[in-house]
Amino acid sequence: MAKHCETFDHTADVGLRAEADSLAELLEALAEGLADVLCDRSRVAPARSRTVAVRAEDVEALAVDLLSEVLLAFEMDRFLVGRVTVTSATATAAEAELAGEPHDPARHELRTEVKAVTYHQLQIAPRGRGWIGRVILDL
Amino acid sequence: MAKGFEGTVEQVDGNRWRIPRASWPAMRVDGLIYSSEALISEVLSGGAPAQVANVATLPGIVGASLAMPDIHWGYGFCIGGVAATDVDSGGVVSPGGVGYDINCGVRLLRTDLDAADVRRRIEPLISQLFDDMPVGVGVGGPFTFDRKEMRRLLGEGVGYLVSRGLADAADREATESGGCLNGADPRAVSDQACRRGASQCGSLGAGNHFIEVQEVADVYDAAVAEAFGLAAGAVTVMIHSGSRGLGHQVCGDYLKVLRSAPGEYGFDLPDRQLVCAPVESPPGRQYLSAMRAAANFAWCNRQLLANQVRASLSRFFGLSAESLGLRQVYDVAHNIAKIERHEVSGRPRRLCVHRKGATRAFAPGHRELPDRYRKTGQPVLIPGDMGTASYVLVGTETAMRETFGSACHGAGRVLSRKAAIRSAQGRRIDKELASRGIVARARGRTGLAEEQPDAYKDIEAVVACVAAAGLARKVARMRPLGVIKG
Repeated sequence: MAKHCETFDHTADVGLRAEADSLAELLEALAEGLADVLCDRSRVAPARSRTVAVRAEDVEALAVDLLSEVLLAFEMDRFLVGRVTVTSATATAAEAELAGEPHDPARHELRTEVKAVTYHQLQIAPRGRGWIGRVILDL
Repeated sequence: MAKGFEGTVEQVDGNRWRIPRASWPAMRVDGLIYSSEALISEVLSGGAPAQVANVATLPGIVGASLAMPDIHWGYGFCIGGVAATDVDSGGVVSPGGVGYDINCGVRLLRTDLDAADVRRRIEPLISQLFDDMPVGVGVGGPFTFDRKEMRRLLGEGVGYLVSRGLADAADREATESGGCLNGADPRAVSDQACRRGASQCGSLGAGNHFIEVQEVADVYDAAVAEAFGLAAGAVTVMIHSGSRGLGHQVCGDYLKVLRSAPGEYGFDLPDRQLVCAPVESPPGRQYLSAMRAAANFAWCNRQLLANQVRASLSRFFGLSAESLGLRQVYDVAHNIAKIERHEVSGRPRRLCVHRKGATRAFAPGHRELPDRYRKTGQPVLIPGDMGTASYVLVGTETAMRETFGSACHGAGRVLSRKAAIRSAQGRRIDKELASRGIVARARGRTGLAEEQPDAYKDIEAVVACVAAAGLARKVARMRPLGVIKG
């Protein structure tokens, strides 16, 4: 099992590009990639976890909704995500555990303000025996 | 990732480039890019012209899909994009044509302070502002509004702050639309959006948002500058911020609501980020009601930021805001959709004008302008990069005829944030700015690198193009003295 996520350039914003063996792992990689844009994940302890469930009409909208949960956890509750475990994923529904801890300004330097997860050039698709994904964030 | 534009682009004149409607069957109108010989090759090498063509496919679009000279690649619409749809002929509203930061905009304050004097004290002044102002990622403001207060703020905009003694009539008059869009419905704003924004009204945020202390370096039109309260050698303060988390969430909520709309209304869209619904449809009306509430929030945000700037300057100089001559020149939105009346093919039409990284630039005599600017035309505030200059222009009849009364909103990015950080490696941007006499303070480690002057187009070339195309006239040029960022 392998998953990988990296950022790429977009003029005013930043993109996430990921590949993984399964849809669940792809969603994990992208969600963790977003968490890393907000704050260095290696400094966020998985002290607490919260379960999120999303439903959407297709797999791309599903990815936007799941990643938005990571953003909302911070924006509404100051909860930084360090690790994401997608416990189930189909093309239209996913459940995930977001493990992390409340933002502590002494330990967690925030990197960038993320306004939203966009639909622009959004791609979540099977490729070969795995999955690839591309999401652009509005900063 | 952006490829150069492969469609047809025809040069119309020195400041206009057309993407003909005939070049792609899905286009309903031409694309028209305002640019110059100096700027166009960089524009055509990126992804923005394809976005201008995509926007030309929106149902009900009239005139042309327009892009201002600060055009750059966005998501859905390009930044610098202007599109008007005919409300009474099925025209659509698209949240992507406004963007996530609803009513991101600029406010300019003028003072009687002498720039030469302030330059000598700019370092401690910027430190004071940096200490006093809530800036940075996720940093909230000193104001909190409970549910009931938030409903009034969203519904009434700056008028609500006037009732609380947090704004006065002069502030309100010097704000686009009087700081309140009619038809805002707080009930259309989700609880999540309200929670994201509850503690953020009166905070700057991060990214490209800033507060800049400037010197009026050049005056091009003395009479108009005087009417705007601007004099050469005086100090101004520019504030750039938007609707914070509340607006971001409103946009996200309605993109979700509208995900199914293209299928429902039979629209075939080239980019999901362009989802839209007829203005006169339940989801279209609902989005506009929520967007207007978020716009009102943004005007209140900039009002509360301006109040804190006034208090900070008063503390620093030991003088009241009144004694400092600290007054608002104007406040403009640059991410917004508004219902306006414009002539199309000689007939007055009710249009939904999307401005995505574009500024309203109404001509003299327009009935929507406040009395004090009715004769001059609307002040058009154009922030440049933090190392060069910002401009005040004034709206023209040409803009009314060609661009639904719109002009550019800034310099426009050329480097991505990552590329800007790469190019800043091994450099101290704050020191480079200091060598130009500009004091810069930022909360985040990468903020100054991302926003360094090289990350932007040349503001002089952008404004020269706007002026040469006749979309707005130059009134004054301001040089930065110091800036604070998130």
